[in-house]
Amino acid sequence: MTTVDTSTIFEPLRFRALEVKNRVFRSSLAGRFNNYDGTGNQAHVNWDLKFARGGVGAIISSNAPVHPRGLIVPNYAHIDRDETVPFWREVVRRVHEHDCRYLVQLAFSGRQRDLGGIQFDKGWSSTDKPEPIHGLRCERMTVEDIRELVRCFADGARRAREAGADGVEVHGCNGYLITQFLSPAVNNRKDDYGGSLGNRARFALDVVRAIRAEVGDDYHLQFKITAVDYGKDLFPWSARGTTIEESVQVCKWLEEAGIDAFHVSSGNSFPHPRNPAGDFPIQDVVRGYDTMISSGKHTFRNYLLFRVWPFNRVFKWAWERTSRGRVEGINLADARAIKEAVSVPVLCTGGFQTASLIAAAIARGDCDGVTIARPLIANPNLVELWRAGHDRPQRPCTYSNKCLINQLENPLGCYDESRFDSRDDMVREILSVYEPPQFVQ
Amino acid sequence: MSDAIFEPLRFKNLEVANRVFRSSIAGRFDGWDGSGQQARINWEARFARVGVGAIISAWCGVDRRGLIVPGYASIEHDGRVPFWRELGERVHEHGSKFILQLAHAGRQRDIPGIEFRRGLSSTGKADPLHGFEAERATPAQLDEIVGAFARAARRAREAELDGIEIHGANGYLFTQFLSSAINDRTDEYGGALLNRARLLLEVVRGVRASVGDDFHVQVKISATERADAFLFWLRRGNTTADSVQVCQWLEEAGADAIHVSAGSTFPHPLNPAGGMPLREVRDNYDGLISSGIHAFRNYLLYRTPLVNRLMQRRWERSEDEVEGANLPDARAIKEAVSIPVLCTGGFQTASVVRDALSSGLCDAVTIARSLVANPDLLDVWRAGHDRPERPCSYCNKCLFNLLENPLACYDERRFDSREAMIAAAYAVFDPPPYGPG
Repeated sequence: MTTVDTSTIFEPLRFRALEVKNRVFRSSLAGRFNNYDGTGNQAHVNWDLKFARGGVGAIISSNAPVHPRGLIVPNYAHIDRDETVPFWREVVRRVHEHDCRYLVQLAFSGRQRDLGGIQFDKGWSSTDKPEPIHGLRCERMTVEDIRELVRCFADGARRAREAGADGVEVHGCNGYLITQFLSPAVNNRKDDYGGSLGNRARFALDVVRAIRAEVGDDYHLQFKITAVDYGKDLFPWSARGTTIEESVQVCKWLEEAGIDAFHVSSGNSFPHPRNPAGDFPIQDVVRGYDTMISSGKHTFRNYLLFRVWPFNRVFKWAWERTSRGRVEGINLADARAIKEAVSVPVLCTGGFQTASLIAAAIARGDCDGVTIARPLIANPNLVELWRAGHDRPQRPCTYSNKCLINQLENPLGCYDESRFDSRDDMVREILSVYEPPQFVQ
Repeated sequence: MSDAIFEPLRFKNLEVANRVFRSSIAGRFDGWDGSGQQARINWEARFARVGVGAIISAWCGVDRRGLIVPGYASIEHDGRVPFWRELGERVHEHGSKFILQLAHAGRQRDIPGIEFRRGLSSTGKADPLHGFEAERATPAQLDEIVGAFARAARRAREAELDGIEIHGANGYLFTQFLSSAINDRTDEYGGALLNRARLLLEVVRGVRASVGDDFHVQVKISATERADAFLFWLRRGNTTADSVQVCQWLEEAGADAIHVSAGSTFPHPLNPAGGMPLREVRDNYDGLISSGIHAFRNYLLYRTPLVNRLMQRRWERSEDEVEGANLPDARAIKEAVSIPVLCTGGFQTASVVRDALSSGLCDAVTIARSLVANPDLLDVWRAGHDRPERPCSYCNKCLFNLLENPLACYDERRFDSREAMIAAAYAVFDPPPYGPG
């Protein structure tokens, strides 16, 4: 039991066009629960309900592509056509039953696609240089392509509203398309969408203005941003990326363009040593992340990096050293820098699972709320545990990142066996997402 | 004039409207855990709509350790029955029959999943193709498997399906017992042919006891194993003569029909015979690289140009060797048993099928790939064409794509454009699980 006052966590958070019952948001995270074409299945509904039941104030949906070319991996639910609305309506309806708000994350992968699928051989990007981790090839977007995609974001937002969702989040971070425009380490354009900070931010601003025009003034619209690229954490030879000063400026422009809240993350790729910060589970990578071997150009390099000693030891060490000892709240300093510059609420992500730490961050003014992914997978009832007076769950998330690496081939869930009484218990918990099935008596 | 293809086929407990069965073919359309989803229903309804006499379901697991790939609908507990009932109803609306294929992978799993690292088998030796490790099943474990099949068959009947097929072919659990190239036991389940057939015969009797005498039960068997066809250092395995004997025993044990296939593994150069599409193998079959113990060997096999050319040469069969390749085996079995015999293997030419039926080589044909390519194959034949305009090329891209992509025809040459091919592949998701209203 804690003696620190954590009651602020349970105070409502008021945005301009939305009120959330507490300060805890389930951050976006996806499992491959849906159909290959992006139509939604029952298991996705079951998944989100776990967290609504566990007491979070709002759920940010899994990465929902606004165009099929923007998928990261097949089998996430899309919002790229009107036929997807009935599925989202069902998710929202079920989540609302638990007094939980639902935000759809509008997304486009760009060149960073773990598994690009069969429809589009190359991703779209600001550049035509391949993505550096997998070696996935891409095509530089023309200005017409950009205009078309801006329209797709606006249409995605309209569909979210039609489905009854309480707002949308524009996914502008973690190395996906908007980062590929914002980051000077990636964007090498010479036109209006590259070069100066104002030009690199133009795509994000176009998207936000188009959404605002489409959904009107009375609808919650938030933006998730990579505050700092930290590109050298991954590739020491990489060019200078986005700095916090630049991101602060971008956030000010975005606020003027109609953004109601910012969601702060970091790192210019996904995965990145800072996000999700923690371990690099090499065994699970070998088993579950073979797409790194099969889909890009860097197959042999990745084969060696992940499978051959000592390369895999060195890689694991280099990855983990970045965040060692400071996973929880790793982005708070960056969130604070943005919060000081804007007048809308700021949410922060990064390993949160200790009530006193969150309450202190809110009291200090680092952020107004936190978003949580991995610790909620480990303990979907985290909010209830805090309410019952526990500062931290008895079996906290270990940041092993096995959830993340397993989700390409296996159902998303906690794969850290040390957190369970037995492997059978772990498997049972993982498979519980399929209950109830779609067809019942 | 009557056409042998469109004459009804009467089994002891089942009548099928014509002589064309959709053979078992899967696709990862379902929940990872084996719960059935809408896309599976859409997939099967497609073949019912064009009037195949019967559909043999996708590979359907009877217990969790025997699953082959996550994402195939299974029938290992009673909670699965409502899905299969819904699927059966949708198929029946079009007048087709639905036969559930009950299967156990043994050690031959494409993606082992998270529950069981080792598959149960006749032997403790790893699968030589994938490198997945195996555990030698004890007699008590075999008794449990017999029970699992019997319960699964009972569920199929509860779901009001029209029959079951016990998957005794293509390298899965029963092949691992039947095959003289794999089974190395010295107990009553190994050694002599009768011992090697014991598990399959026990399952047929167990199923029969569970569903009663008036429910259709057929058995699929690899008549010729040719275990040495690809991995040349292995022994040859069972011959047609061995299989004829096994089929006679199966008939005595209560089987209503025999379904003839070939090959000691899946895939195998004899089944599905045809191409070895290296690019598809490389991009989509990474399970073979990552999951078993032959990771580096398979990395070289699939990704090194010289090695994979050699592999391709050893594997591939030319197009004209494919259609009807199993007919001599089917005939040998048909001559030895009094129950109907079904034969699979690349059928898509009406005259070939008609000749096989009227000369008594088999009683019906089962078709998978050619129907994936042309779901309207029967309409094409009914209209008097001998072959579809764009026949299946046996390139096997459907097979090698299905682990990562939707099951469909991926031979781009057969379509006006790549977009048309993808639209056809995605059609299986229509209607979606959540529709308007």
